[in-house]
Amino acid sequence: MSRKSNIPAAPLFLRLVLWLLAAVTITPFLLLLLTSIKSKADVLQGAFALPAYPHFENYLDAWNAGHFNIYFWNSIIVVIPVVAASVLLGLLTGFAFAYLSFPLRRTLFAILTLGMMVPAEAFIIPLYYEVRYLGLINTYTAVIVPQIAMSIPFSTIFLASAMQQLPEEILEAAVLDGAGRFYILRKIVVPLMVPAMSTLALFLFIWTWNEFLIPFILVNDDAYRTLPLGMLFFQGRYTVNTPVLTAGAVIVIAPLILTYLVFQRRFIAGLTAGATK
Amino acid sequence: MKRSPLDGSEHTNWIYLFPGLLLYAAFVFGPIVAALGLSLTSWDGLTVPKWVGLGNYIDLFSDNRFYIALRNNAELMIFYCVLPLGLGIGLAACVWNLKQQEQLALRTFLFLPYIMPTAVLGIIWAWLYNPAFGPFNQFLRAVGLGMFALPWLGDFNFVLPAVGIVATWYFFGFCMVIFLTGIQRIDPSLFDAAKVDGASARKTFFWITLPLLMPEIRVVLLLTVIASIKSFDLIFTMTRGGPANATLVPNIYMYQLGFELNRFGAAAAIAIVGALLTFAINFAIHRLVGSKSKGMA
Repeated sequence: MSRKSNIPAAPLFLRLVLWLLAAVTITPFLLLLLTSIKSKADVLQGAFALPAYPHFENYLDAWNAGHFNIYFWNSIIVVIPVVAASVLLGLLTGFAFAYLSFPLRRTLFAILTLGMMVPAEAFIIPLYYEVRYLGLINTYTAVIVPQIAMSIPFSTIFLASAMQQLPEEILEAAVLDGAGRFYILRKIVVPLMVPAMSTLALFLFIWTWNEFLIPFILVNDDAYRTLPLGMLFFQGRYTVNTPVLTAGAVIVIAPLILTYLVFQRRFIAGLTAGATK
Repeated sequence: MKRSPLDGSEHTNWIYLFPGLLLYAAFVFGPIVAALGLSLTSWDGLTVPKWVGLGNYIDLFSDNRFYIALRNNAELMIFYCVLPLGLGIGLAACVWNLKQQEQLALRTFLFLPYIMPTAVLGIIWAWLYNPAFGPFNQFLRAVGLGMFALPWLGDFNFVLPAVGIVATWYFFGFCMVIFLTGIQRIDPSLFDAAKVDGASARKTFFWITLPLLMPEIRVVLLLTVIASIKSFDLIFTMTRGGPANATLVPNIYMYQLGFELNRFGAAAAIAIVGALLTFAINFAIHRLVGSKSKGMA
Protein backbone atom coordinates (compact mmCIF):
# COMPACT_ATOMS: atom_id res chain seq x y z
CA MET A 1 0.00 0.00 0.00
CA SER A 2 1.99 2.92 -1.31
CA ARG A 3 -0.46 5.56 -0.14
CA LYS A 4 0.66 5.00 3.39
CA SER A 5 4.22 6.05 2.67
CA ASN A 6 3.55 9.69 3.47
CA ILE A 7 2.00 8.90 6.85
CA PRO A 8 4.42 8.90 9.76
CA ALA A 9 4.85 5.53 11.44
CA ALA A 10 2.89 5.14 14.66
CA PRO A 11 4.96 6.06 17.70
CA LEU A 12 6.58 3.21 19.56
CA PHE A 13 4.62 3.96 22.74
CA LEU A 14 1.31 3.61 20.95
CA ARG A 15 2.33 0.31 19.42
CA LEU A 16 3.42 -0.92 22.82
CA VAL A 17 -0.04 -0.10 24.23
CA LEU A 18 -1.72 -1.87 21.32
CA TRP A 19 0.32 -5.01 21.80
CA LEU A 20 -0.30 -4.95 25.54
CA LEU A 21 -4.03 -4.78 24.85
CA ALA A 22 -3.75 -7.68 22.41
CA ALA A 23 -1.90 -9.69 25.05
CA VAL A 24 -4.58 -8.96 27.67
CA THR A 25 -7.29 -9.91 25.19
CA ILE A 26 -5.90 -13.37 24.54
CA THR A 27 -4.77 -14.02 28.13
CA PRO A 28 -7.99 -15.92 29.00
CA PHE A 29 -7.28 -18.35 26.16
CA LEU A 30 -3.64 -18.78 27.17
CA LEU A 31 -4.66 -19.43 30.78
CA LEU A 32 -7.17 -21.96 29.55
CA LEU A 33 -4.53 -23.76 27.55
CA LEU A 34 -2.06 -23.65 30.42
CA THR A 35 -4.53 -24.92 33.01
CA SER A 36 -5.70 -27.71 30.74
CA ILE A 37 -2.29 -29.40 31.00
CA LYS A 38 -1.94 -29.10 34.78
CA SER A 39 -2.63 -31.64 37.47
CA LYS A 40 -5.02 -30.77 40.29
CA ALA A 41 -1.99 -30.25 42.53
CA ASP A 42 -0.42 -27.87 39.97
CA VAL A 43 -3.58 -25.75 40.00
CA LEU A 44 -3.11 -25.10 43.71
CA GLN A 45 0.32 -23.60 42.94
CA GLY A 46 -1.40 -20.62 41.32
CA ALA A 47 -3.01 -19.92 37.98
CA PHE A 48 0.13 -18.51 36.39
CA ALA A 49 2.58 -21.18 37.59
CA LEU A 50 3.87 -23.67 35.04
CA PRO A 51 3.28 -27.39 35.66
CA ALA A 52 6.26 -29.68 36.20
CA TYR A 53 5.30 -31.60 33.07
CA PRO A 54 2.25 -31.43 30.80
CA HIS A 55 -0.72 -33.56 31.87
CA PHE A 56 -2.35 -34.42 28.58
CA GLU A 57 -4.43 -37.05 30.35
CA ASN A 58 -6.87 -34.23 31.22
CA TYR A 59 -7.91 -34.30 27.58
CA LEU A 60 -8.50 -38.03 27.75
CA ASP A 61 -10.57 -37.55 30.90
CA ALA A 62 -12.64 -34.82 29.27
CA TRP A 63 -13.01 -36.83 26.09
CA ASN A 64 -14.09 -40.08 27.72
CA ALA A 65 -15.27 -39.56 31.31
CA GLY A 66 -16.51 -36.04 30.51
CA HIS A 67 -18.48 -37.28 27.47
CA PHE A 68 -16.82 -34.72 25.19
CA ASN A 69 -16.50 -37.48 22.61
CA ILE A 70 -20.32 -37.63 22.48
CA TYR A 71 -20.70 -33.83 22.44
CA PHE A 72 -18.02 -33.42 19.78
CA TRP A 73 -19.62 -35.92 17.40
CA ASN A 74 -23.05 -34.48 18.09
CA SER A 75 -21.74 -31.06 17.11
CA ILE A 76 -20.37 -32.51 13.86
CA ILE A 77 -23.61 -34.41 13.18
CA VAL A 78 -25.60 -31.20 13.66
CA VAL A 79 -23.30 -28.71 11.93
CA ILE A 80 -22.83 -30.55 8.62
CA PRO A 81 -26.51 -30.89 7.62
CA VAL A 82 -27.33 -27.41 8.93
CA VAL A 83 -24.60 -25.79 6.83
CA ALA A 84 -25.26 -27.92 3.73
CA ALA A 85 -29.04 -27.53 3.76
CA SER A 86 -28.89 -23.83 4.59
CA VAL A 87 -26.56 -23.10 1.67
CA LEU A 88 -28.66 -25.23 -0.68
CA LEU A 89 -31.98 -23.67 0.32
CA GLY A 90 -30.34 -20.25 0.35
CA LEU A 91 -29.30 -20.84 -3.27
CA LEU A 92 -32.85 -21.70 -4.33
CA THR A 93 -34.67 -18.90 -2.48
CA GLY A 94 -31.82 -16.49 -3.21
CA PHE A 95 -32.14 -17.34 -6.92
CA ALA A 96 -35.86 -16.59 -6.71
CA PHE A 97 -35.35 -13.24 -4.97
CA ALA A 98 -32.51 -12.25 -7.30
CA TYR A 99 -34.09 -13.07 -10.65
CA LEU A 100 -37.68 -14.23 -10.50
CA SER A 101 -41.01 -12.46 -10.17
CA PHE A 102 -43.78 -13.80 -7.99
CA PRO A 103 -46.76 -12.33 -6.13
CA LEU A 104 -46.27 -10.73 -2.69
CA ARG A 105 -42.57 -10.37 -3.37
CA ARG A 106 -42.07 -7.37 -1.08
CA THR A 107 -44.23 -8.86 1.67
CA LEU A 108 -42.33 -12.14 1.60
CA PHE A 109 -39.04 -10.28 1.70
CA ALA A 110 -40.23 -8.29 4.73
CA ILE A 111 -41.33 -11.50 6.46
CA LEU A 112 -37.90 -12.99 5.81
CA THR A 113 -36.06 -9.98 7.23
CA LEU A 114 -38.32 -10.23 10.29
CA GLY A 115 -36.70 -13.58 11.00
CA MET A 116 -33.29 -11.93 10.97
CA MET A 117 -34.31 -9.34 13.53
CA VAL A 118 -36.44 -11.35 15.92
CA PRO A 119 -34.16 -13.34 18.22
CA ALA A 120 -34.80 -17.04 18.76
CA GLU A 121 -35.55 -16.25 22.40
CA ALA A 122 -38.77 -14.55 21.29
CA PHE A 123 -40.30 -17.67 19.71
CA ILE A 124 -38.57 -20.47 21.59
CA ILE A 125 -41.67 -21.37 23.64
CA PRO A 126 -44.00 -22.07 20.68
CA LEU A 127 -41.08 -23.75 18.90
CA TYR A 128 -40.55 -26.03 21.90
CA TYR A 129 -44.21 -27.08 21.91
CA GLU A 130 -44.23 -27.54 18.15
CA VAL A 131 -41.17 -29.80 18.30
CA ARG A 132 -42.71 -31.65 21.23
CA TYR A 133 -46.00 -32.05 19.37
CA LEU A 134 -44.07 -33.54 16.44
CA GLY A 135 -42.47 -35.99 18.88
CA LEU A 136 -38.98 -34.73 18.07
CA ILE A 137 -37.69 -33.67 21.51
CA ASN A 138 -34.36 -35.43 22.10
CA THR A 139 -33.59 -36.13 18.45
CA TYR A 140 -30.98 -34.70 16.12
CA THR A 141 -33.83 -33.43 13.95
CA ALA A 142 -34.96 -31.13 16.80
CA VAL A 143 -31.57 -29.41 16.78
CA ILE A 144 -30.97 -29.49 13.02
CA VAL A 145 -34.22 -28.46 11.33
CA PRO A 146 -35.03 -25.30 13.35
CA GLN A 147 -31.47 -24.09 12.84
CA ILE A 148 -31.77 -24.56 9.07
CA ALA A 149 -35.04 -22.61 9.16
CA MET A 150 -33.45 -19.88 11.26
CA SER A 151 -30.56 -19.44 8.82
CA ILE A 152 -32.75 -19.18 5.69
CA PRO A 153 -33.25 -15.39 5.89
CA PHE A 154 -29.52 -14.67 6.09
CA SER A 155 -28.56 -17.30 3.49
CA THR A 156 -31.21 -16.03 1.09
CA ILE A 157 -30.35 -12.35 1.39
CA PHE A 158 -26.59 -13.01 1.35
CA LEU A 159 -26.71 -15.18 -1.78
CA ALA A 160 -29.38 -13.10 -3.56
CA SER A 161 -27.27 -9.97 -3.26
CA ALA A 162 -24.22 -11.89 -4.51
CA MET A 163 -26.23 -13.23 -7.47
CA GLN A 164 -27.37 -9.72 -8.39
CA GLN A 165 -23.70 -8.80 -8.86
CA LEU A 166 -23.26 -11.42 -11.62
CA PRO A 167 -23.00 -9.96 -15.15
CA GLU A 168 -26.36 -10.33 -16.83
CA GLU A 169 -24.79 -11.01 -20.26
CA ILE A 170 -23.62 -14.45 -19.13
CA LEU A 171 -27.13 -15.39 -18.04
CA GLU A 172 -28.67 -13.94 -21.21
CA ALA A 173 -26.24 -15.88 -23.37
CA ALA A 174 -27.12 -19.09 -21.54
CA VAL A 175 -30.85 -18.47 -22.00
CA LEU A 176 -30.29 -17.78 -25.71
CA ASP A 177 -28.40 -21.05 -25.97
CA GLY A 178 -31.59 -22.68 -24.81
CA ALA A 179 -30.40 -23.86 -21.42
CA GLY A 180 -33.06 -24.55 -18.79
CA ARG A 181 -33.19 -22.47 -15.65
CA PHE A 182 -32.23 -25.22 -13.28
CA TYR A 183 -29.35 -26.11 -15.56
CA ILE A 184 -28.20 -22.46 -15.58
CA LEU A 185 -28.41 -22.35 -11.78
CA ARG A 186 -26.35 -25.51 -11.42
CA LYS A 187 -23.79 -25.09 -14.19
CA ILE A 188 -23.36 -21.31 -14.45
CA VAL A 189 -24.58 -19.55 -11.30
CA VAL A 190 -23.30 -22.01 -8.68
CA PRO A 191 -19.71 -22.16 -9.99
CA LEU A 192 -19.60 -18.34 -9.95
CA MET A 193 -21.04 -18.30 -6.44
CA VAL A 194 -18.36 -20.49 -4.86
CA PRO A 195 -16.63 -17.62 -3.01
CA ALA A 196 -19.92 -16.29 -1.62
CA MET A 197 -21.09 -19.80 -0.75
CA SER A 198 -17.93 -20.64 1.12
CA THR A 199 -18.06 -17.38 3.09
CA LEU A 200 -21.67 -18.17 3.96
CA ALA A 201 -20.74 -21.73 4.95
CA LEU A 202 -18.01 -20.37 7.20
CA PHE A 203 -20.44 -18.07 9.03
CA LEU A 204 -23.03 -20.82 9.34
CA PHE A 205 -20.43 -23.23 10.68
CA ILE A 206 -19.40 -20.85 13.45
CA TRP A 207 -22.95 -19.84 14.36
CA THR A 208 -24.19 -23.42 14.46
CA TRP A 209 -21.15 -24.69 16.37
CA ASN A 210 -21.75 -21.93 18.95
CA GLU A 211 -25.55 -22.22 19.19
CA PHE A 212 -26.73 -22.55 22.76
CA LEU A 213 -30.45 -21.82 23.09
CA ILE A 214 -31.85 -24.29 20.54
CA PRO A 215 -30.10 -27.41 21.87
CA PHE A 216 -30.54 -26.14 25.44
CA ILE A 217 -34.33 -26.01 25.17
CA LEU A 218 -35.07 -28.70 22.57
CA VAL A 219 -32.84 -31.45 23.96
CA ASN A 220 -32.45 -32.67 27.51
CA ASP A 221 -30.84 -36.06 26.92
CA ASP A 222 -27.06 -36.05 27.30
CA ALA A 223 -26.75 -38.28 24.22
CA TYR A 224 -27.88 -35.41 21.95
CA ARG A 225 -26.08 -32.48 23.53
CA THR A 226 -23.72 -30.40 21.40
CA LEU A 227 -20.42 -29.00 22.72
CA PRO A 228 -21.56 -25.69 24.31
CA LEU A 229 -24.36 -27.56 26.12
CA GLY A 230 -22.06 -30.37 27.13
CA MET A 231 -19.73 -27.77 28.58
CA LEU A 232 -22.53 -26.32 30.74
CA PHE A 233 -23.59 -29.69 32.16
CA PHE A 234 -20.01 -30.81 32.53
CA GLN A 235 -19.39 -27.70 34.63
CA GLY A 236 -22.23 -28.79 36.90
CA ARG A 237 -20.65 -32.21 37.42
CA TYR A 238 -16.96 -31.23 37.64
CA THR A 239 -16.84 -27.84 39.34
CA VAL A 240 -13.75 -28.67 41.34
CA ASN A 241 -11.84 -30.40 38.57
CA THR A 242 -10.58 -27.25 36.85
CA PRO A 243 -7.95 -28.94 34.62
CA VAL A 244 -10.50 -31.26 33.04
CA LEU A 245 -13.02 -28.42 32.71
CA THR A 246 -10.48 -26.26 30.87
CA ALA A 247 -9.42 -29.21 28.70
CA GLY A 248 -13.09 -29.52 27.72
CA ALA A 249 -13.22 -25.82 26.89
CA VAL A 250 -10.17 -26.21 24.65
CA ILE A 251 -11.92 -29.07 22.83
CA VAL A 252 -14.89 -26.77 22.17
CA ILE A 253 -12.93 -23.78 20.92
CA ALA A 254 -9.96 -25.41 19.14
CA PRO A 255 -11.90 -26.12 15.92
CA LEU A 256 -13.13 -22.52 15.92
CA ILE A 257 -9.64 -21.11 16.32
CA LEU A 258 -8.25 -23.39 13.60
CA THR A 259 -11.05 -22.46 11.20
CA TYR A 260 -10.59 -18.79 11.99
CA LEU A 261 -6.84 -18.84 11.42
CA VAL A 262 -7.15 -20.71 8.13
CA PHE A 263 -10.05 -18.68 6.67
CA GLN A 264 -9.38 -15.37 8.40
CA ARG A 265 -9.28 -13.18 5.32
CA ARG A 266 -12.42 -14.65 3.81
CA PHE A 267 -14.20 -14.37 7.13
CA ILE A 268 -13.31 -10.72 7.72
CA ALA A 269 -14.00 -9.78 4.11
CA GLY A 270 -17.44 -11.37 4.28
CA LEU A 271 -18.14 -9.79 7.64
CA THR A 272 -17.32 -6.28 6.54
CA ALA A 273 -19.08 -6.68 3.18
CA GLY A 274 -22.17 -7.90 4.96
CA ALA A 275 -22.00 -5.29 7.68
CA THR A 276 -21.74 -2.27 5.43
CA LYS A 277 -24.71 -3.28 3.29
CA MET B 1 -37.47 -4.11 -11.22
CA LYS B 2 -36.22 -4.98 -14.67
CA ARG B 3 -37.28 -8.45 -15.71
CA SER B 4 -34.40 -10.89 -15.58
CA PRO B 5 -33.77 -13.15 -18.58
CA LEU B 6 -34.17 -16.05 -16.16
CA ASP B 7 -37.67 -15.07 -15.09
CA GLY B 8 -40.40 -17.56 -15.92
CA SER B 9 -44.06 -18.06 -15.26
CA GLU B 10 -45.19 -17.47 -11.71
CA HIS B 11 -46.13 -21.01 -10.85
CA THR B 12 -42.78 -22.42 -11.98
CA ASN B 13 -40.99 -19.65 -10.05
CA TRP B 14 -42.62 -20.94 -6.87
CA ILE B 15 -40.61 -24.16 -7.11
CA TYR B 16 -37.47 -22.20 -6.19
CA LEU B 17 -39.13 -20.29 -3.42
CA PHE B 18 -41.21 -22.99 -1.86
CA PRO B 19 -38.80 -25.31 0.06
CA GLY B 20 -37.00 -22.52 1.91
CA LEU B 21 -40.12 -20.53 2.68
CA LEU B 22 -42.01 -23.59 3.87
CA LEU B 23 -39.31 -24.50 6.39
CA TYR B 24 -39.01 -20.88 7.47
CA ALA B 25 -42.76 -20.58 7.92
CA ALA B 26 -42.96 -23.81 9.90
CA PHE B 27 -40.10 -23.23 12.34
CA VAL B 28 -39.59 -19.46 12.50
CA PHE B 29 -42.47 -17.35 11.25
CA GLY B 30 -45.20 -19.63 12.58
CA PRO B 31 -43.68 -19.72 16.07
CA ILE B 32 -43.28 -15.90 16.01
CA VAL B 33 -46.99 -15.50 15.25
CA ALA B 34 -47.81 -18.16 17.86
CA ALA B 35 -45.73 -16.31 20.46
CA LEU B 36 -47.78 -13.22 19.74
CA GLY B 37 -51.00 -15.17 20.28
CA LEU B 38 -49.63 -16.97 23.33
CA SER B 39 -48.76 -13.65 24.95
CA LEU B 40 -52.49 -12.85 25.02
CA THR B 41 -53.29 -15.96 27.04
CA SER B 42 -52.61 -17.50 30.38
CA TRP B 43 -51.11 -20.94 29.88
CA ASP B 44 -49.37 -23.44 32.17
CA GLY B 45 -48.25 -25.69 29.31
CA LEU B 46 -50.75 -28.45 30.18
CA THR B 47 -54.33 -27.21 30.22
CA VAL B 48 -56.12 -25.23 27.50
CA PRO B 49 -54.74 -21.66 27.21
CA LYS B 50 -57.10 -19.06 28.68
CA TRP B 51 -57.60 -15.80 26.79
CA VAL B 52 -56.55 -12.82 28.90
CA GLY B 53 -56.17 -10.12 26.24
CA LEU B 54 -53.48 -7.64 27.17
CA GLY B 55 -53.51 -8.88 30.77
CA ASN B 56 -49.96 -10.27 30.62
CA TYR B 57 -48.66 -6.96 29.31
CA ILE B 58 -50.52 -5.00 31.98
CA ASP B 59 -49.12 -7.32 34.67
CA LEU B 60 -45.65 -6.91 33.22
CA PHE B 61 -45.74 -3.14 33.43
CA SER B 62 -46.74 -3.27 37.06
CA ASP B 63 -44.09 -5.92 37.80
CA ASN B 64 -41.12 -4.55 39.67
CA ARG B 65 -38.82 -7.38 38.54
CA PHE B 66 -39.50 -6.53 34.91
CA TYR B 67 -38.40 -2.95 35.52
CA ILE B 68 -35.26 -4.24 37.24
CA ALA B 69 -34.59 -6.40 34.18
CA LEU B 70 -35.07 -3.46 31.83
CA ARG B 71 -32.83 -1.23 33.92
CA ASN B 72 -30.11 -3.88 34.05
CA ASN B 73 -30.38 -4.24 30.29
CA ALA B 74 -29.99 -0.49 29.85
CA GLU B 75 -26.90 -0.51 32.08
CA LEU B 76 -25.49 -3.48 30.15
CA MET B 77 -25.75 -1.44 26.96
CA ILE B 78 -22.84 0.65 28.25
CA PHE B 79 -20.73 -2.52 28.10
CA TYR B 80 -22.32 -4.06 25.01
CA CYS B 81 -22.49 -0.95 22.86
CA VAL B 82 -20.83 2.22 24.15
CA LEU B 83 -17.48 0.83 25.30
CA PRO B 84 -16.88 -1.48 22.29
CA LEU B 85 -17.88 1.35 19.94
CA GLY B 86 -15.51 3.85 21.54
CA LEU B 87 -12.66 1.36 21.91
CA GLY B 88 -13.23 0.06 18.39
CA ILE B 89 -13.05 3.49 16.76
CA GLY B 90 -10.04 4.54 18.83
CA LEU B 91 -8.17 1.33 18.06
CA ALA B 92 -9.02 1.44 14.37
CA ALA B 93 -7.68 5.00 14.19
CA CYS B 94 -4.44 3.81 15.86
CA VAL B 95 -4.04 0.54 13.97
CA TRP B 96 -4.84 1.56 10.41
CA ASN B 97 -1.53 3.24 9.61
CA LEU B 98 0.59 0.44 11.03
CA LYS B 99 2.39 -1.84 8.62
CA GLN B 100 0.19 -4.45 6.94
CA GLN B 101 1.72 -7.41 8.80
CA GLU B 102 1.46 -5.81 12.21
CA GLN B 103 -2.08 -4.68 11.52
CA LEU B 104 -3.07 -8.19 10.55
CA ALA B 105 -1.50 -9.71 13.67
CA LEU B 106 -3.19 -7.25 16.03
CA ARG B 107 -6.50 -7.74 14.27
CA THR B 108 -6.19 -11.52 14.60
CA PHE B 109 -5.72 -11.32 18.37
CA LEU B 110 -8.26 -8.62 19.13
CA PHE B 111 -10.96 -10.26 17.03
CA LEU B 112 -10.52 -13.72 18.54
CA PRO B 113 -13.20 -13.54 21.30
CA TYR B 114 -15.88 -12.71 18.74
CA ILE B 115 -15.83 -16.14 17.08
CA MET B 116 -16.32 -17.99 20.38
CA PRO B 117 -19.57 -19.42 21.75
CA THR B 118 -20.77 -16.92 24.36
CA ALA B 119 -22.11 -19.72 26.55
CA VAL B 120 -18.62 -21.23 26.80
CA LEU B 121 -17.07 -17.79 27.35
CA GLY B 122 -19.46 -17.38 30.27
CA ILE B 123 -18.25 -20.62 31.82
CA ILE B 124 -14.60 -19.68 31.25
CA TRP B 125 -15.08 -16.24 32.82
CA ALA B 126 -16.96 -17.68 35.78
CA TRP B 127 -13.76 -19.66 36.42
CA LEU B 128 -11.53 -16.61 35.85
CA TYR B 129 -13.62 -14.64 38.37
CA ASN B 130 -13.82 -17.40 40.98
CA PRO B 131 -13.18 -15.74 44.36
CA ALA B 132 -11.16 -18.63 45.82
CA PHE B 133 -8.98 -19.96 43.00
CA GLY B 134 -9.81 -17.70 40.05
CA PRO B 135 -6.81 -16.35 38.10
CA PHE B 136 -8.21 -12.82 38.13
CA ASN B 137 -8.07 -12.44 41.92
CA GLN B 138 -4.76 -14.31 42.05
CA PHE B 139 -3.36 -11.70 39.70
CA LEU B 140 -4.72 -8.84 41.81
CA ARG B 141 -3.14 -10.32 44.95
CA ALA B 142 0.16 -10.92 43.15
CA VAL B 143 0.47 -7.27 42.09
CA GLY B 144 -0.44 -5.99 45.56
CA LEU B 145 -4.08 -5.13 44.87
CA GLY B 146 -5.37 -7.88 47.15
CA MET B 147 -7.97 -5.58 48.69
CA PHE B 148 -9.71 -5.52 45.31
CA ALA B 149 -9.87 -9.32 45.11
CA LEU B 150 -13.66 -9.41 45.40
CA PRO B 151 -16.12 -12.25 44.82
CA TRP B 152 -16.97 -10.53 41.52
CA LEU B 153 -19.96 -12.60 40.48
CA GLY B 154 -21.33 -12.77 44.02
CA ASP B 155 -21.14 -9.07 44.78
CA PHE B 156 -24.40 -7.23 44.28
CA ASN B 157 -22.66 -4.01 43.22
CA PHE B 158 -19.91 -5.38 41.00
CA VAL B 159 -21.57 -8.28 39.26
CA LEU B 160 -23.13 -6.22 36.47
CA PRO B 161 -19.88 -4.53 35.39
CA ALA B 162 -18.06 -7.85 35.85
CA VAL B 163 -20.42 -9.52 33.38
CA GLY B 164 -20.51 -6.43 31.19
CA ILE B 165 -16.73 -6.33 30.77
CA VAL B 166 -16.90 -9.80 29.24
CA ALA B 167 -19.32 -8.45 26.63
CA THR B 168 -16.99 -5.52 25.97
CA TRP B 169 -14.08 -7.93 25.54
CA TYR B 170 -16.22 -10.00 23.18
CA PHE B 171 -17.29 -7.09 20.95
CA PHE B 172 -14.52 -4.49 20.82
CA GLY B 173 -12.28 -6.34 18.34
CA PHE B 174 -15.25 -6.91 16.07
CA CYS B 175 -16.04 -3.19 16.19
CA MET B 176 -12.42 -2.38 15.41
CA VAL B 177 -12.46 -4.61 12.32
CA ILE B 178 -15.64 -2.95 11.01
CA PHE B 179 -14.15 0.52 11.57
CA LEU B 180 -10.83 -0.48 9.96
CA THR B 181 -12.58 -1.28 6.68
CA GLY B 182 -14.52 1.93 7.09
CA ILE B 183 -11.32 3.97 7.35
CA GLN B 184 -9.84 2.20 4.36
CA ARG B 185 -12.93 3.18 2.37
CA ILE B 186 -12.28 6.90 3.03
CA ASP B 187 -10.59 8.78 0.20
CA PRO B 188 -6.91 9.09 1.25
CA SER B 189 -6.62 12.51 -0.42
CA LEU B 190 -8.81 13.87 2.38
CA PHE B 191 -6.15 12.91 4.91
CA ASP B 192 -3.42 14.38 2.69
CA ALA B 193 -5.34 17.63 2.38
CA ALA B 194 -5.79 17.80 6.14
CA LYS B 195 -2.07 17.27 6.55
CA VAL B 196 -1.22 20.00 4.07
CA ASP B 197 -3.53 22.34 5.97
CA GLY B 198 -1.60 21.52 9.11
CA ALA B 199 -4.47 19.83 10.96
CA SER B 200 -3.49 17.96 14.12
CA ALA B 201 -4.10 14.22 14.39
CA ARG B 202 -6.93 14.91 16.83
CA LYS B 203 -8.61 17.42 14.51
CA THR B 204 -8.27 15.05 11.58
CA PHE B 205 -9.94 12.32 13.63
CA PHE B 206 -12.87 14.43 14.82
CA TRP B 207 -13.47 16.36 11.59
CA ILE B 208 -12.73 13.77 8.93
CA THR B 209 -12.53 10.21 10.22
CA LEU B 210 -15.43 10.27 12.66
CA PRO B 211 -18.07 11.90 10.41
CA LEU B 212 -17.16 9.67 7.48
CA LEU B 213 -17.48 6.57 9.65
CA MET B 214 -21.19 7.20 10.31
CA PRO B 215 -22.39 4.20 8.23
CA GLU B 216 -20.11 1.88 10.22
CA ILE B 217 -21.14 3.47 13.51
CA ARG B 218 -24.72 2.77 12.61
CA VAL B 219 -24.03 -0.87 11.78
CA VAL B 220 -22.06 -1.41 14.98
CA LEU B 221 -24.77 0.25 17.08
CA LEU B 222 -27.48 -1.85 15.45
CA LEU B 223 -25.65 -5.13 15.99
CA THR B 224 -24.53 -4.47 19.56
CA VAL B 225 -27.85 -3.01 20.73
CA ILE B 226 -29.70 -6.03 19.36
CA ALA B 227 -27.13 -8.32 20.98
CA SER B 228 -27.63 -6.59 24.33
CA ILE B 229 -31.42 -7.00 24.19
CA LYS B 230 -31.11 -10.68 23.33
CA SER B 231 -28.34 -11.33 25.86
CA PHE B 232 -29.01 -14.68 27.46
CA ASP B 233 -26.18 -17.20 27.02
CA LEU B 234 -23.46 -15.17 28.71
CA ILE B 235 -25.58 -14.13 31.71
CA PHE B 236 -27.20 -17.51 32.10
CA THR B 237 -23.87 -19.33 32.28
CA MET B 238 -22.22 -16.73 34.54
CA THR B 239 -24.87 -15.70 37.07
CA ARG B 240 -28.36 -16.94 36.02
CA GLY B 241 -29.53 -13.39 36.73
CA GLY B 242 -28.29 -13.29 40.33
CA PRO B 243 -27.29 -12.41 42.93
CA ALA B 244 -30.64 -10.96 44.01
CA ASN B 245 -31.68 -9.97 40.45
CA ALA B 246 -28.52 -7.86 40.01
CA THR B 247 -27.98 -9.26 36.49
CA LEU B 248 -31.59 -10.13 35.68
CA VAL B 249 -32.36 -9.19 32.06
CA PRO B 250 -35.64 -9.66 30.18
CA ASN B 251 -34.58 -12.89 28.46
CA ILE B 252 -33.43 -14.49 31.73
CA TYR B 253 -36.73 -13.41 33.30
CA MET B 254 -38.55 -14.92 30.34
CA TYR B 255 -36.73 -18.21 30.85
CA GLN B 256 -37.59 -18.23 34.57
CA LEU B 257 -41.26 -17.45 33.99
CA GLY B 258 -41.64 -19.90 31.15
CA PHE B 259 -39.42 -22.89 31.75
CA GLU B 260 -39.16 -22.76 35.55
CA LEU B 261 -42.58 -21.44 36.63
CA ASN B 262 -44.66 -22.68 33.65
CA ARG B 263 -46.20 -19.25 33.10
CA PHE B 264 -45.82 -19.41 29.34
CA GLY B 265 -48.23 -16.60 28.48
CA ALA B 266 -46.37 -14.10 30.65
CA ALA B 267 -43.03 -15.36 29.30
CA ALA B 268 -44.21 -14.90 25.71
CA ALA B 269 -45.28 -11.34 26.57
CA ILE B 270 -41.71 -10.57 27.67
CA ALA B 271 -40.39 -12.06 24.44
CA ILE B 272 -42.76 -9.89 22.41
CA VAL B 273 -41.83 -6.75 24.36
CA GLY B 274 -38.16 -7.58 23.68
CA ALA B 275 -38.84 -7.99 19.95
CA LEU B 276 -40.79 -4.70 19.85
CA LEU B 277 -37.96 -2.99 21.70
CA THR B 278 -35.54 -4.33 19.09
CA PHE B 279 -37.69 -2.94 16.27
CA ALA B 280 -38.05 0.43 17.96
CA ILE B 281 -34.31 0.79 18.55
CA ASN B 282 -33.56 -0.46 15.05
CA PHE B 283 -35.89 2.18 13.64
CA ALA B 284 -34.47 4.92 15.85
CA ILE B 285 -30.88 4.11 14.86
CA HIS B 286 -31.81 4.03 11.17
CA ARG B 287 -33.46 7.42 11.56
CA LEU B 288 -30.93 9.17 13.74
CA VAL B 289 -27.48 7.86 12.87
CA GLY B 290 -25.78 8.43 9.54
CA SER B 291 -29.01 8.80 7.58
CA LYS B 292 -27.19 10.77 4.88
CA SER B 293 -25.24 7.70 3.84
CA LYS B 294 -26.10 5.78 0.72
CA GLY B 295 -26.73 2.05 0.74
CA MET B 296 -29.72 -0.20 0.43
CA ALA B 297 -30.86 0.09 4.02
